[in-house]
Amino acid sequence: MSRALEEAAAPPRLAFRAPQFSAGVLLALPAVLILVVLYAVPLARLMASSFVGPSGLGFEAYDRILGDPYGRSLVWNSVRLGALTTVVALIVGYPAAFGLAFARGALRSLFLASLFLPLAASVIVKSFAWSTLMRSHGVVNGVLMTLHLTHAPIRLLFTQFSLISGAVNIFLPFMILPIYTVVAQIDPILTEAAATLGASPARAFMRVVAPLSLPGVVAGVSIVFSLSVSAYVVPTLLMGESYPTLATTIARAFLLLRDPALGSAAGAILMAIGLVVVVLSRRFGEGDVGR
Amino acid sequence: MGRSVEPAVTPHVAVTSLSKRFGASTVLDRVDLSVERGALVTLLGPSGCGKTTLLRLIAGLTAPDEGSIVIGGVDVTRMPPHKRNVGVVFQSYALFPHLTVAGNVSFGLKGKSLSRAEMAAKVQRALSLVQMERFGDRPVRALSGGQQQRVALARALAVEPNVLLFDEALSALDRNLRETMQIELRRLLKDIDATAIFVTHDQDEALTMSDKVAVMNAGRIEQFDDPVRLYARPRSLFTTRFVGVSSELRGTVAARQAGQLRIDTPQGPVLAEGDLPTGAAAVVSIRPENVAIGASDDQERNRIEGRVRSVIFQGPRSRVAVDVGASADFIVEVGGISTPPSPGDAIVLSWPASRSFAFADARQAA
Repeated sequence: MSRALEEAAAPPRLAFRAPQFSAGVLLALPAVLILVVLYAVPLARLMASSFVGPSGLGFEAYDRILGDPYGRSLVWNSVRLGALTTVVALIVGYPAAFGLAFARGALRSLFLASLFLPLAASVIVKSFAWSTLMRSHGVVNGVLMTLHLTHAPIRLLFTQFSLISGAVNIFLPFMILPIYTVVAQIDPILTEAAATLGASPARAFMRVVAPLSLPGVVAGVSIVFSLSVSAYVVPTLLMGESYPTLATTIARAFLLLRDPALGSAAGAILMAIGLVVVVLSRRFGEGDVGR
Repeated sequence: MGRSVEPAVTPHVAVTSLSKRFGASTVLDRVDLSVERGALVTLLGPSGCGKTTLLRLIAGLTAPDEGSIVIGGVDVTRMPPHKRNVGVVFQSYALFPHLTVAGNVSFGLKGKSLSRAEMAAKVQRALSLVQMERFGDRPVRALSGGQQQRVALARALAVEPNVLLFDEALSALDRNLRETMQIELRRLLKDIDATAIFVTHDQDEALTMSDKVAVMNAGRIEQFDDPVRLYARPRSLFTTRFVGVSSELRGTVAARQAGQLRIDTPQGPVLAEGDLPTGAAAVVSIRPENVAIGASDDQERNRIEGRVRSVIFQGPRSRVAVDVGASADFIVEVGGISTPPSPGDAIVLSWPASRSFAFADARQAA
C-alpha cells in the first residue's frame, strides 16, 4: 500500500500525467455531455423558474411553501420519510452487510443475488407488490390471522408502518451494497491485532472495525436519504393523498395545477435538503477517520 | 553458550503435547517446546510445516485440539487472546490504517486506566526504542515498509507483553533492510530482556537472530538447538537438508566401530557419525566447507574420487560441483588462497570422518 503511494509520488510518474489527463477527459466526455445537456441545463432552467411569480421575480413560490403551515408539512413529511427510511435501513442493513462480507461460496452468491435481483424490478412494481402484501386481505394479514395473532384484519396499508417498511424494502440494497464493499476490504488480521493488544471482541469492533466501515455508512446514508427524501412512487402508492411530500407536490404542481414556480421551488428545496445531508454525512465521516 | 546441560530452568513459555488438526490434516502433531525467559527462539521450517499455526496457538488466535500452553506460569490454553498479554508483530504489520502512529502505539494502553501523561510517556518510550519518536502524529499510510515495521514493533512493545511473537515479520522488507533489521532487532530485544518467538522460513534470519532454533517439519519439531549445533550437528536428514548446503552419498552400513559407522557406498567405504544398525540403508551427508581437494593419508579422513563438472565463482569462495557417480553432484567449497580446479579435472576429495553424518535412508525402502 505504502509502496504504491511512494511510486505514485515519485517524480518520473509526473511525465505521464499529461497524457493520462487528456485520456481521462476523453473517457469522461460522453457522460459529461449527457449530464450537461440533459441535467445541468434543465436544472438551471428549473431554478430560474422557481423565482418567477405573478408579480415578477422574487421568492414568492418559496414563501408559499416555507411560510405556510401546510407547505412546511410537505417539507417535514419529506424529511421524515427520508430520515426514518435511512435510519431503519441503516439498522437493518449494517449487520446484513457484515453477513454478506463473511458469507462464502454459494451463500454469498445467494445473498448478492437477493440484493441485485430486486434492483431489476421497477419501483412501481415493488410498491404495488408491497401494497398487495399490506392489504386488509393481503398476505401479511393472512399470516397474522392464521397464527391467531389477530382476529380481524389490521389496517396496514396507508399507515406510517407500511410507508416506512415499504421504503426500506425498496431502498435497502443501496444501504447494504456500499457498506458491504467497504467491510469486505477490512483485513481480518486487524481484528486479530486488536485482540493481541488486549481489546475484547466488542472493543475491537468499536475501535477498529466500526471506524473503518464508516466510509461505507456515509455512502449508504447519502444514497438512501437522497433517494427516499425525494421518493414519489413509494408515498403515492402506499399512502395516496394522505401523505403529501415535496415530491408529490412537484408532480401536482406541474401535472394538475400548472404552477411551474411552485413545482420548481419544491424541487429546489428538496435538492437543498439532499445536499445538506450528503455534505454533513461526508464531513462526519472524514472527521472520524482523522482522529 | 555452554549452558545446555544445566538443569532445566522453569520455562517462560511452555508448550506441551500441542496438536491442531484442520479437517483431516494434522497441522501440529504433539509438539513440545519450552522457551526460557529472555530467550530469542525461532521456529524454522518450510511453508506448511505448522510453524505459523504454533505461533497463532501461543497467541490465542487459534484454539488447539490437544495439549497445553503456559506463559509466565499461567495456563493460557483456554484463555482468549486479549487476556494473554502477548505482543504479535504480523507479516503484513496489521497497523490500524485509520489511526496515527501514536494512535496505533497507544491502542493497547487504552484499556489500562493510565493517566494521559503516563500514556504519552509510554508511547514516546516505545517509539524511541524503534527510533520513530518524531513520527507520532503521522498517519501510518504515509510510512515506508521499514517504518511501518518499526511502528508495529513499538505497538507490540508498548503493552510490555509477556512474550513477543513475530510472524515472518521481516520477510516483507527488501534484503538489505532486512539484514540490518535482524541485527538491530536482536540487539533491541536483548537490551530490554524480552522473550521472543520468531517464525521464519529464512535460515539466515533464524541463525542470525536466535539463541535457539526449532526446525519444524510436517507438524513436528525435528530439532531444537542453538544455531551452532544445529548447523554443525544436525540430528535428522531433514535438518541437514533444510539448514545450509550438504552433499549426500548413499550406501549400506557395513560395520560399527569406535562410535562411528563404516558405510559401503558406490564411491567406496566412508566413515560417518551416526546410530544405525548394520545392514541398514544410509544417507551420508557432508557440508561443502568441510571437504578438501587433494589426497590425504590421515586415517580419520574419508576419500573419494571424482571429476570436476563445473566451478561457480562466488567472490570470497568458489563452489565446485564434482561428479562422483552419485545421483547428485558432490559440492565442495574452495576459498582463500587455494586455486579452484578446472572443469574436467580428475580430483580426489577428502574430509574428516567426524564431519560426516549418517541417517536412515527412507527412500531405499522402495
